[in-house]
Amino acid sequence: MPFKLFDVSKPIPERKDHIYVKHCEDPEECLPKCNIKTIPGSMTERGCAFAGAKGVITGAIKDVAHVVHSPVGCTMYGYGSKRYPTTTDMPDGSKFPVKDFNIKYIVGTDLQESDVVFGGMKKLRQAVRETNQEFPFVNAIYLYATCTTGLIGDDMDAVAKEMEEELGKPVIAFNAPGFAGSTQSKGHQIGNDTLFAKIVGTTEPPATTPYDINLIGEYNIDGDLWLLKEYFEEIGINIISTFTGDCCHAELGWMHRAKLSVVRCQRSSTYIADMIEKKYGVPYIKTDFFSTKYTADNLRTIAKFFGLEDKAEEVIAKRMAKIGPELEFYKEKLTGKKVFIFSGGPKSYHLSIPLHNELGLETTGVSSMFEHEDGFEKMKKRVKEGALVIDDPNTLELEELVEDYDIDLILGGVKEKYLVHKLGIPSLLVHSYENGPYMGFEGFLNLARDMYTAIYNPVWNMLEFQETEDPDMDEEVE
Amino acid sequence: MSVNVMERERTAIINPLKTCQPLGAMYVVTGIRRAVPLVHGSQGCSTFVRYSFSRHFREPSEIAVTSLHEDAAVFGGRRNLVEGLQNVATRLEPSLIGVITTCSSEIIGDDVIGFIKTAKDELKKKIGEKKTEKVKIIPISTPSFVETHLKGYDNAVKALVDHVAEPSEPNEKINIIPGMVNPGDIREIKHMLRLMNLEGILLTDISDPFDSPLRPSATEFKPYYPKGGTTVEEIVDSANSSGTISLTKYAGSGALSLEKKYNIPAELGPIPIGVKNTDQFLRNLKKITGQDVTDEILDERGLLIDSMADLASRYLFDKTVAIYGDPEITSGIARFVGELGMVPKLVVTGANNQEFVKDMKKVGKETGAEIDTMVGQDLRAMEVYLKDNPVDLMIGSSDARLMAKEYEIPLVRVGFPVYDRVGYHRHPIVGYNGGIHLIDLITNTVLEKYYEPEHWKLQQ
Repeated sequence: MPFKLFDVSKPIPERKDHIYVKHCEDPEECLPKCNIKTIPGSMTERGCAFAGAKGVITGAIKDVAHVVHSPVGCTMYGYGSKRYPTTTDMPDGSKFPVKDFNIKYIVGTDLQESDVVFGGMKKLRQAVRETNQEFPFVNAIYLYATCTTGLIGDDMDAVAKEMEEELGKPVIAFNAPGFAGSTQSKGHQIGNDTLFAKIVGTTEPPATTPYDINLIGEYNIDGDLWLLKEYFEEIGINIISTFTGDCCHAELGWMHRAKLSVVRCQRSSTYIADMIEKKYGVPYIKTDFFSTKYTADNLRTIAKFFGLEDKAEEVIAKRMAKIGPELEFYKEKLTGKKVFIFSGGPKSYHLSIPLHNELGLETTGVSSMFEHEDGFEKMKKRVKEGALVIDDPNTLELEELVEDYDIDLILGGVKEKYLVHKLGIPSLLVHSYENGPYMGFEGFLNLARDMYTAIYNPVWNMLEFQETEDPDMDEEVE
Repeated sequence: MSVNVMERERTAIINPLKTCQPLGAMYVVTGIRRAVPLVHGSQGCSTFVRYSFSRHFREPSEIAVTSLHEDAAVFGGRRNLVEGLQNVATRLEPSLIGVITTCSSEIIGDDVIGFIKTAKDELKKKIGEKKTEKVKIIPISTPSFVETHLKGYDNAVKALVDHVAEPSEPNEKINIIPGMVNPGDIREIKHMLRLMNLEGILLTDISDPFDSPLRPSATEFKPYYPKGGTTVEEIVDSANSSGTISLTKYAGSGALSLEKKYNIPAELGPIPIGVKNTDQFLRNLKKITGQDVTDEILDERGLLIDSMADLASRYLFDKTVAIYGDPEITSGIARFVGELGMVPKLVVTGANNQEFVKDMKKVGKETGAEIDTMVGQDLRAMEVYLKDNPVDLMIGSSDARLMAKEYEIPLVRVGFPVYDRVGYHRHPIVGYNGGIHLIDLITNTVLEKYYEPEHWKLQQ
């Protein structure tokens, strides 16, 4: 019986199909149901397609103004909510005038009732003009549909085309209204499709080398990208485009000139790598950079493609010498602890094996809000017998699994973090991070340290008032 | 001596100082014991707000959603709402469900009241009449494209009293509509009522739900409901109170509705921030209940006055301040900084409200300051203004933190959201104690920026 219905979900028996219990002898197609609509009222952790498009894919770009065509809420919630820092460095050596411009500003059309009745296109045109006046230095303006604009049927592509001609700079519409698709994943896909269709192939890089790659699906949460970039630079591999951490609009245009695409977040952005391969013949590989082993393995694979294996070995050896001993300390402390990875996308399959092999932790279960079958296949493969594999988890089930599964640590997001604490166990942010970066060698050490500090926080020994004093406290101090 | 009003000239909004209605309604429903907000909209509508609440309060925020998708956009959200209500009712056994609409459900024209009726009929078949009647289901209309989060707050409180309050015997309690304030503020209001020997009904009380003890053995799980909150019985009883004080005149519809229907006198505003506003709050309490202002509370007033006497003239006098946020809170703080001898140079609010202009004119008259007042404005307008007209201090939410850093203006964090510092939601800014807390905050901020470089100035 490979599927499980939580007691708390008895009133909605459909949930049973979404929760798979790993059984090693099951055929491969035994997976939880996924990528279908949420059961209404089930306290889902999911977000909307707008969140997927703006929040994940485009929000990390440094030289673009984002105009959200919405009542004020969507604009407000899209304002600086992710830790995607950017530098002012541009590929041609020039400087963009504002650091972290993407975090600092957001523009919206602030739709009112009359706009809903009579349409909002006029307002959108005006907002785009004003955006260009306020921030004349931006290199492109991106427009976002939301539930309201999707429903009233504003033709954003037409406005984008018109304004592009008027302003003489790219204006691109992302038609991912909140209700599109079953999760934020639909927004990722629309973001990929739009960027591919409108930008890729439109520019040429200032210079090329035989070692050029696209780094795809790396958004630079807490500086992840900057660590990876160091490794690539030392090996002699040149990232000509990042999709989309700390990147600029123009560099997305020359993604077709890379020799290889390296896909980091395989859920949100394999789409564009695939399209680039099909149209321009640039091959792509899927990679993991969480943990020392995955980082080393993947650096080796990529270096091998370019015949730079020796350089890769140097980078790996140098980093391992630096972090190895410290990692040993954490391994000793973390061995035998049980974690549940209650994450958004693919971290569930990135982390389960490294946490076990490199830090001695045991993964009791994994979940994802918006993964598709291919992701769940990997998740299932990488956990042990009896572990839970959950699609579209909800907080009520989280409470039950914390009670039933003897978990020492939950890796999750901010919406669950504080509930988990109320249940009396530690949690750690892995969507955004606690003290990142978490990627690569040094990042994995950061993750290990944060897990250690979460589990060994003295507070967990003081949850309840003790009627009698701990006898140890009575001993004489010498 | 005058107030210079600046309205938004741009069409676009850049770095908003307001959000849409549903957030205000979710805030209100969270303040009810064992209640669940059910958002009738896309998943983003609940996720973004849960994220915002968790980030600000560092607490869980349980909000359900009906998950509208393309099919609902075409055929309506009937199935989603009926199914969603049943699932919430059976899995969570709440005391109350607030059905909160969004732009999508308002635009597609869903008949929420009709759908609720259908859901109740279905529920009766499933769990029986008795259990079904135990769950109050309240429709709260909050179209996102009308006004701001404060309007959503207002609509929610009004919907609650309209659907739940029932007259019976007078209870000699006082209803308080606190507005969108922090747990620390609500605790301070309750403290003041205690000092006045009064019993209050908070409409509603987020103090415990958004600042709850971590005590696994004493906490209810499956489902987790936080401690505290206003009970449904109290809301029923609010029709029997001696009066209602809304601490915000911008969201007092609930108070007016109780006055109209049950003849319960209503007083709207001002928020008790600073000396004069708190004095007025006490006079309002006395007017409604006949209860004298007690010595204990006057002693607390004296403590605030004492700290003002000790600190204001030496450190704060004539310092200029930019204040931004919700209309009620910014007007309260403008008045208070005026009481401290500071100059409220710029006051910015995202709401487009002429009542606010009147408020600021009053503050301008009292303080003798020339106040630039931005209504219906955003943080970008404030940034452009500050570039040419720098001030000594900023008071407002975390959303202007990067701006404050860039222009090297120290920022005292108040309001919502505050996510880059801790503890701000726990400490009051209302009441005399809130005044003491604020003056300490403001003075220490001034000391660090303006006195620290010449450290000898700090010696007594």
